[in-house]
Amino acid sequence: MDKLETAEDIIICRNVHKWYGDFHALKGINLTVKKGEVIVIIGPSGSGKSTFIRTINRLEEHQEGEIIVDGILLSHDVRNIAEIRREVGMVFQQFNLFPHLTVLENVTLAPIHVRKWSRDHAEEVAMKWLTRVGIPEQAHKYPGQLSGGQQQRVAIARALAMEPKIMLFDEPTSALDPEMIKEVLDVMRDLARSGYTILAVTHEMGFAREVADRVIFFDGGQIVEQNTPDQFFTNPKHERTKLFLSQILHH
Amino acid sequence: MATIYQNLQTLISRQEKLNFNFSLFVQENITRSWWLTLWLLILTFITIRVTISQLVAAPVITAVVLIIWLLSIGMVVLNEVTRQHTNISLWLKENLYNSITNTQLTLILTLLIIAGLRAFYAYAWVNASFETDPEIAAQLEFTGANWGAVIANMRNLMVFRFPKEETWRIWASLALIIVLGIPSVYIYQQQKYRRSKIRSALTFLWILSPIIIFFLLRGINEENPLLPQVNPDVAWGGLMLTIIISIFAIVVSFPLGVLLALGRRSKIRGIPAWLTWTVALGFTVWGLIYSTPPNLAAARSTSEELLSYWPLAIPIVAFLFQRYFNGNVVAAFSTIYIEVVRGVPLITVLFMAIILFPIFLPPGMQILNTWRVLAGFALFSAAYLAENVRGGLQAIPKGQYEAADSLGLTTFQKYRLIILPQALRIVIPAIVGQFIGLFKDTSLVAIVGLFDLLNVANTIAAQPQWLGVRREAYIFIAVIYYIGSAVMTGYSRRLEARLGVGER
Amino acid sequence: MADLSPQLPKTRSTTIPFWRDIRVLGVLAQIAFVIVAVMGITWVVRNTLANLDELGESQFICRDGTSSFRCAYDFMRLDAQFDIAETPIPYEPSDSYWRALGVAAVNTLKVTVLGVILATVLGTLAGIARLSSNWLVSNLAKWYVDLMRNTPLLLQLFFLYFSVILVLPPIKEAIQPFNLPIFFSQRGINIPAPVFMPSFAVWLAFVVLGIIQAQVLWIILGRQEELTGKSSNRFRWALVSFLLVVGIGWYVSGSLTSTQAIMTPKSLRVREFKDLQKIMLNRLKLADLGDIELALSNGTLTQEDIDAAAFRICAQKESASEVNLTSQLRNANIPYTVKRSTRLDQATEAYANGECEILVASQSLLAAEREALEDGANHVILPIAETPVRISIPNLEGLNFVGGAKLTPEFAAILIGLVLYTGGFIAEIVRAGIQAVPKGQSEAARALGLSESQRLRLIVLPQALRVIIPPITSQYLNLAKNSTLAQAIAFPDLWTVSYTTINQSGRAIQIMLIVMGSYLSLSLIISALLNWYNRRIALVER
Repeated sequence: MDKLETAEDIIICRNVHKWYGDFHALKGINLTVKKGEVIVIIGPSGSGKSTFIRTINRLEEHQEGEIIVDGILLSHDVRNIAEIRREVGMVFQQFNLFPHLTVLENVTLAPIHVRKWSRDHAEEVAMKWLTRVGIPEQAHKYPGQLSGGQQQRVAIARALAMEPKIMLFDEPTSALDPEMIKEVLDVMRDLARSGYTILAVTHEMGFAREVADRVIFFDGGQIVEQNTPDQFFTNPKHERTKLFLSQILHH
Repeated sequence: MATIYQNLQTLISRQEKLNFNFSLFVQENITRSWWLTLWLLILTFITIRVTISQLVAAPVITAVVLIIWLLSIGMVVLNEVTRQHTNISLWLKENLYNSITNTQLTLILTLLIIAGLRAFYAYAWVNASFETDPEIAAQLEFTGANWGAVIANMRNLMVFRFPKEETWRIWASLALIIVLGIPSVYIYQQQKYRRSKIRSALTFLWILSPIIIFFLLRGINEENPLLPQVNPDVAWGGLMLTIIISIFAIVVSFPLGVLLALGRRSKIRGIPAWLTWTVALGFTVWGLIYSTPPNLAAARSTSEELLSYWPLAIPIVAFLFQRYFNGNVVAAFSTIYIEVVRGVPLITVLFMAIILFPIFLPPGMQILNTWRVLAGFALFSAAYLAENVRGGLQAIPKGQYEAADSLGLTTFQKYRLIILPQALRIVIPAIVGQFIGLFKDTSLVAIVGLFDLLNVANTIAAQPQWLGVRREAYIFIAVIYYIGSAVMTGYSRRLEARLGVGER
Repeated sequence: MADLSPQLPKTRSTTIPFWRDIRVLGVLAQIAFVIVAVMGITWVVRNTLANLDELGESQFICRDGTSSFRCAYDFMRLDAQFDIAETPIPYEPSDSYWRALGVAAVNTLKVTVLGVILATVLGTLAGIARLSSNWLVSNLAKWYVDLMRNTPLLLQLFFLYFSVILVLPPIKEAIQPFNLPIFFSQRGINIPAPVFMPSFAVWLAFVVLGIIQAQVLWIILGRQEELTGKSSNRFRWALVSFLLVVGIGWYVSGSLTSTQAIMTPKSLRVREFKDLQKIMLNRLKLADLGDIELALSNGTLTQEDIDAAAFRICAQKESASEVNLTSQLRNANIPYTVKRSTRLDQATEAYANGECEILVASQSLLAAEREALEDGANHVILPIAETPVRISIPNLEGLNFVGGAKLTPEFAAILIGLVLYTGGFIAEIVRAGIQAVPKGQSEAARALGLSESQRLRLIVLPQALRVIIPPITSQYLNLAKNSTLAQAIAFPDLWTVSYTTINQSGRAIQIMLIVMGSYLSLSLIISALLNWYNRRIALVER
């Protein structure tokens, strides 16, 4: 009933502001994401990029402006929040797997308790996703027994098992050893190509160049520049973007 | 001995000079500083005094100890000089003879420990009486322990006045626990039973067992032919009561403690400041108009005049409430409950339970002393348990909450499925520690007149046939407490070690 | 940029039913909680009032006979009518309940403060012993700790009181370990105690002066060190100057402010203190008073001779001047006997009747007493030297110990019990605290060339303390709360006396409010003090 007909726009942010006490973390973000679009957000640390994607599923509360996800207005209404969270999957920098549950239980937990699927169906779906991220044989191990890259892939499978329309990635490779980054990026690439709407905060420029439809540069709580990856990397318009790019590319 | 002989041979056969410098040794170990020399002199004096006194008291044993001491020193020194340590001499060197002070302390302590053990052995065995018949025991001449009194009172110490013909009910309760306990050890450990029906059945039986044991021990009603009712105030006692109280307290305080801990940490939006202030100021004005003038008129002293202005304290309370709890009543209530209960002695809580519960309940409502004490213990224990659980909750990373939120779990599901299972697992050792504390604290019911293990021990000294026999009973129950606590401590240590290396 | 600001139907964004609004839900939950809590409290209060009605209005009776809540505490001014075994401040059964509770509170404070200090000392020693490199020492400490931790405190108290202290020998055969002036008997423990003379205040002023000037010297030398860059060993100089001032103060306060004196008949011919010695030498016909023991053993003198020759002294009970005189006589090997009276005029009477040769008291009082004597002119007053502090040693006279301090069996049991028990817990905390300091820290200190004591004092201890303080705080709190177990052995602490008061007056609620309030405040004070200290060392750490 609260669905708002907005055709192709799956995420609409209008003038979103957020303060932590006196600190103005988000200064009026305007952004529209189309269904199936892959967006990579980059920016220096503390620029508000993580805060921004966390406001989309209400891990952080925005204080001004409007966020509409899949036609649902993100408000103080508990039902809307629950609906949006069901449609939005999230992958964290620190994986945040549940250490007291096995991999399979991690993945089936939400489908069983939120989507109310039967255990058998949930496990069937979970195994499908675990196969897709390439670790079906680890299903009965505990997260602590897996490597970082494997854990992150479980986290992706856990988010996907809810069959979300949108996937949020909050620096998914930052806590990983270099040799494990690739296995996670491969999964993300795979997802990007199969039509998911993706918002990813990442420092992996190769990934951005390869699969992103749009690259957004955050600084000081604002969107400084957004463009297609080709244009963005070869022909940045803004001074701050140029400076940032030169710093990370020379690194 | 063999090693010493071998070493002597090596020492003699060796041609090269041994690198042992006597004056250097003295300088390093004796004359390094004046206070070291002084200390060694005092210690030597004490050593000689103790040795002489023990030589007088027990010549043979002391002489043997002295000889062993000298010989083992000789062996260590020899092995040290020739640098040919065996396992034994190395251990001796490192643990008993690693300095002059320690060498002397070793002798003093060995002699004193032997003297103590001899005295205790004489008291508890050689000169002791094990005669359980008081009349025969009275004829016997013995100077040591009167264990007969303890043995004769064994049933009292265990269950006190539980009806003799109903003893089978205690055995049945024990059997139930054992029957459930033995498979549990296996089934709860094994991964393959994680979602099995056996495990859920077992859990169900465990949850049911307190009710069964309650009916076994108290009975159903007076007319029941199988399980006639007994009065716990009279029939429950001894070790049985000690165990009942401690288990009841920990089991009942568990849900209360978890709720209090969650309440104290709750971050739900509080009552908004404007609402708090409106209510507070309303009450203040109301109090100043309707309560203060009559009180002021009736006041007999300055302090009572000041007390008449009590409504002025309401805004202060409101301010503190907003300042420290942001209007969160749940957190305020939990915090105050926890801190007040933890701030007062257990005995005052028990006294409140005994004397004040009846005053707080509807007139004419009678409850047995045993139930009052059980409730008092549970309420007391809940505050401490809440603090332990809070420690566990604090150890859960923020990411776990966020992951649960991002998956769309409700708050209740989040705590039930994600947060509490992890937090409670962390605090199991602390809860076992708290259980040990409760097990020991149960002895306080002696002061409010119930007959737990300690109070039963006290009654022995008052029995005409065993008048004044106290020490033996105290030693016996101390052993029970010691074993109970030590076993649980050991269990919690192992648990801690396992949780430490396990899944985290 | 049209796509960045899509048009939204405004009407839908603002209508959230309040039962789904997360902001309202929280407040609703709070209000529901308040309502439930208020209902519960109302229920309890109503029951209480109904029960109190049944108990009658005597609970709130006023002095004029009416009944009102205002008079809930009026009964506290009535006579307590029970005796208290141990009264650190004066108390009679005819004093009020307030006074009785006050006495009891002082007893609780006494046990708590002494207990905390002694348990810390014992716990620290046992904790260090736990880490000793001597296998026997560390295992003995472990057994002690385990025994304390695994048995109930109440059992330990019962054992200590009934099976150790009460079965000690009677007072005539008191145990004296290692010939130290400490006596254990059924009637308690007698230990030496300091007695403070009037001049103690003067000496204290010197001590304060010494601290100030040592601090000043410390700062001055510190500045000089900074200027010259040379170490001047300022610790040693400050200490030496402090000891100098304190030492001078000891003599000055003793000789200048002496206020005590003895009165003797002129016939005794005493001009100065040394004459006493000469008189005694004459009486015993000895060349040196140190020979008494020798003369006794070779039979030239008998104990009767000495008893007959001993100076007979009259004094007021528990007076500082008596301790001052007798310890000087003891130092000079002069035999004496003391006759003590409750009041000074009784002592003077005894002196006037010739029951003793010497009356000891403060100068001014003696002068007044001499005025009162009929033959005042026949007596001389002789000032005696005074030191600020004298140690009074217990001495068995008849069926009682005189002098020193006495711990009653009850006080001894609760104090020793609490110290042993808490010491066991503190030992574990200290051990864990020291072990928590990484080995690398000690190695680094040794690598820097710090001495062992410097390593402990500067590196290990400050870091260990940070780990130790929080758990030790809760042990101190436990000790304070456990002191209520004194009730089991009838030591009159706050709880025991409150319990008696409740039984006698029947006002359970009023007294329980006072008791719980007191213990809560005690807990708050202890944790506030240690939190303050903890913050301080935490700051030093940074």
